[in-house]
Amino acid sequence: MEDHTVINLQDISVYQKNKLVLANVNLNINNGEFVYLIGKTGSGKSSLMQLLYADLPVEQGKASICGYNLNSIKNSQIPFLRRKLGIVFQDFQLLEDRTIEENLIFVLKATGWKDKQEIQARIIEVLEEVELISKLKVMPHQLSGGEQQRIVIARALLNHPELILADEPTGNLDPETSNGIMKVLMKISQSGKAVLMATHNYNLIHKFPGKIIKCEEGTVVSSDNKLD
Amino acid sequence: MASNEEKNSKRRINSAYITSLISITLVLFTLGFLGLVLIHAHSLSNYIKENIGFEIIMKPGVKEADIVYLKKTLDAEDFVKSTEYITKEEATERLSEVLGEAFTGFLEEENNPLLPSIDVRFNADWANNDSLVAIEEAVLKNEAVKEVYYQKSLVHLINKNVRKISLVLLGFSLLLLLIAMALINNTIRLSVYSKRFIIRSMKLVGATESFIRKPFVMKGVIHGILSAVLALSLLSGIVAVSKQNIPELELLSSMETMAYLYVAVILLGIVMSGLSTLFAVKRYLHMRADSLYA
Repeated sequence: MEDHTVINLQDISVYQKNKLVLANVNLNINNGEFVYLIGKTGSGKSSLMQLLYADLPVEQGKASICGYNLNSIKNSQIPFLRRKLGIVFQDFQLLEDRTIEENLIFVLKATGWKDKQEIQARIIEVLEEVELISKLKVMPHQLSGGEQQRIVIARALLNHPELILADEPTGNLDPETSNGIMKVLMKISQSGKAVLMATHNYNLIHKFPGKIIKCEEGTVVSSDNKLD
Repeated sequence: MASNEEKNSKRRINSAYITSLISITLVLFTLGFLGLVLIHAHSLSNYIKENIGFEIIMKPGVKEADIVYLKKTLDAEDFVKSTEYITKEEATERLSEVLGEAFTGFLEEENNPLLPSIDVRFNADWANNDSLVAIEEAVLKNEAVKEVYYQKSLVHLINKNVRKISLVLLGFSLLLLLIAMALINNTIRLSVYSKRFIIRSMKLVGATESFIRKPFVMKGVIHGILSAVLALSLLSGIVAVSKQNIPELELLSSMETMAYLYVAVILLGIVMSGLSTLFAVKRYLHMRADSLYA
């Protein structure tokens, strides 16, 4: 598989409400890479994630994600960038007012899918990938935390994203369930998609090795795959 | 357990929906009721104005044909609502009825002081002092007319009071409209607020703003129509009961004006509810993630 860059940040500064959170961030991630983003609480991991999915503007430096230039991206283009990303959160953020099937249908319809049969086939495909095909007609709150997170991963996969951004996806889960989630994410990475995962859980990094970058002292540094 | 949670969650959603539906219904009902009062007040003022007496007294000895001709000329005018020719005999009869005795009994026929007259009723727009003076001048040019009689001070008083009452009602209506807009906006904003995280999730999966807005606004519009229909049902009930107890009210409102009022209430429901939903969703679509938790 040919390598191509999905994340390219050059001298980026990240601000939250005019407050500088990270400065001089340089980062390059290619497809198929599995990258852990570690750092203390409040070190700027989530802010960096927000910048990557265009929830925070780029005020300094150059940023390109999945072919979109974040410096010049228009508001109307942001949804189209997000369709190339799969975003996974610690708190799941499923649409609580509808079933799993309706959650997935919503995403596909919102991203331009029209054919009912194709929609149904894609939903079955992603649910099989996360091994939750039996939960099609269930409401989100009827699922366990681990199951909800798997559904969120399935949702993230719907549009064949180039990059998965996972912000502490195992933060609310027990170790066994976390292992299950990690296996799914690793499988996704091996299929050629880039995965950037923010986490505090060093045990998981030991079990599932990957490239490590660290938010530290107001910037992002390569950790040379060492956890210290 | 999950089933109980689901039931509770559904109950909460239904209860919030019903509360907001009732709130909007009551606001629209109040607006509709005020509209009804305005329509009846306007009709009542027209009714009073159109019954202002304007009597054209004819000279003695004028031929009946001349009087009938003058009556027909007046009937053809835009400002005239109706005319009534009162002959000398009818005038005598009416006065006798008022006095309770035949006063002509001791008078010779030729000494009867009463004269034939034409009683004119004007359309409401013309029932004001300026117009009446101009009409009086025009009528007095007719040689068959002896004099014109109407109560200038009464006309002035009616018009002055109608203007005052109209201004008060209009001011009150505007104030109520503002309150209604604020109440509906607030109710809908609260209902959209409860879905702010859903809106954010929709954004993050790549839905465009218009795709997210559409179902909310559609729901808002349906909500507005439903509230308006409920408000109008209440209003219709009140109108029916009022007409049963005060049959004269029938005279004050036509089917046409009532239809306008009903259409206006439905449109208000749609526009207010739809626009409020649109603005509320827009607000949460553009809100920063951390502000959603505030």
